[in-house]
Amino acid sequence: MEFSEDDSMLNQSDYDYDYDVVTPCSYQNNHSVALVVGQYVHSVIFVLGFLGNSLVIVTYAFYKRTKSMTDVYLLNVAVADLLFVLSLPLIVYNELWSWPMGPVACKLLRGSYSVNLYSGMLLLACISADRYIAIVQARRSFRLRSLAYSRLICALVWTFAFLLSVPTFYFYNWYEPSHTRDSFLYEREERNRTFTRDAFPYEGEERNRTFTRDAFPYEGEERNRTFTRDAFPYEGQEANGSSRSPHYVCEFSFMDDDAARTTKVAVPSTQLAVGFFLPLLVMISCYSAIVVTLLRARNFQRHRAVRVVLAVVAVFLVCHLPYNVALFHDTVSMFQQQTCEASDALQVAKTVTQTVAYLHCCLNPVLYAFVGVKFRNHFLRIVQDLWCLGKRYIAPRRFSRVTSEVYVSPRRSVDGSNDNGSSFTM
Amino acid sequence: MVSIRATVMVITILTVCVLVTHTDSSAVPHGCCRGYMKTKLPFPVIRGYSVQTQRELCPINAIIFHTQKGKACTDPALNWVMDYVNRLRNKAQRVHIKNSKM
Repeated sequence: MEFSEDDSMLNQSDYDYDYDVVTPCSYQNNHSVALVVGQYVHSVIFVLGFLGNSLVIVTYAFYKRTKSMTDVYLLNVAVADLLFVLSLPLIVYNELWSWPMGPVACKLLRGSYSVNLYSGMLLLACISADRYIAIVQARRSFRLRSLAYSRLICALVWTFAFLLSVPTFYFYNWYEPSHTRDSFLYEREERNRTFTRDAFPYEGEERNRTFTRDAFPYEGEERNRTFTRDAFPYEGQEANGSSRSPHYVCEFSFMDDDAARTTKVAVPSTQLAVGFFLPLLVMISCYSAIVVTLLRARNFQRHRAVRVVLAVVAVFLVCHLPYNVALFHDTVSMFQQQTCEASDALQVAKTVTQTVAYLHCCLNPVLYAFVGVKFRNHFLRIVQDLWCLGKRYIAPRRFSRVTSEVYVSPRRSVDGSNDNGSSFTM
Repeated sequence: MVSIRATVMVITILTVCVLVTHTDSSAVPHGCCRGYMKTKLPFPVIRGYSVQTQRELCPINAIIFHTQKGKACTDPALNWVMDYVNRLRNKAQRVHIKNSKM
């Protein structure tokens, strides 16, 4: 247009000043770690978690009726883990690609993540309490351990998990961060372009809109187009990249600063308390009582049972302690000033430890379901049936009848034989 | 039982999709200011500003001044920062009035 080419003069004047800038953190390390972890480790977790937990569900659905209280819990844990694992690739994909799935997916994925996290952890606590009642309080166990009771407890756990996730559902939103979206750019007086959409967010949402609409009516649509794209030609890649494709996030957003500060502390604190410390406390107290009782008993299988208990607690700690330490550190230091290096390192730690925590839902089927002899028998029959099924598909039609008889008959006999429903499923 | 075979297929396909789509992630990490400048910026180097608010994903409030050396995180509690913001806004107002008369 008629803009003069005297930019060079204005630009040069910048070099007369000596100043250093504290730039926004780019989280480069975290981004590259998240990229690798997101691609490879999460895929492995997804496949293993999906297979393990769906096998547990299939076993319960087709072979083993949920007879005992433990069965109900194990089935619910598998459902929670499966839902979690299913949402995982979608969350990872959206995180790496600036949430292309939009606002509804944002709320649903973040919300279901939270619900499944809480229900999974609380159910593990329920399992430990159930085992405690079965082994330590064996006399009362007939009264306390009924199917209806466990279903009620599971319903309560899911309701509680959902209630705890309401803030997540409510405050997680899909948006373009205003500090990357809206820039008040006054480049040079000659250009007369004050590219702005929300130039003064400090004055509140309402006035922003009206101001920018009214203030620059003559610029119309073009105003928004040129904003930041041409305004910072000297910033190169970074400015171009962030302005051309809007970078959406699925994160917290609030109406006021007080709500923001409170919720940003309250949500991770609740996760630490109810999603980690409460189940840990219940597990440690129940399992230590169980171990004491088992060691006193004259049971030839007691050492195996103690080993299983120790493995359950150890895996829980190894998986969740690192992430919760990182989360705690992040929550405590959230509002403090940090260097970008420290902040980036903390984010890397969170990304890595979170992945370790995700591993837990692949290990749950092994630790809780497949460790039990009875469950393994049922599971082996699935494998057997699958094999027979494969044979039926491949082999000529006339064999089908024979094979089906083979795999149906033992099923009844074994099902009838192990009806005692011991809680440890060992 | 056919469903198991189908689900295995679905997982495999999903995994492949996840792997393929992730190899070329172009998402630019959204930067947040995590600290403020200790020194005062010279006003003439400022090209504009944007506002980082605690109400969104970033943990602290900040005024980000755009300078030739890049973006500068500053503390909105400081007087000079808000003074600069006002000066930039006044400039914009003047530009607006000038253009309206045309």
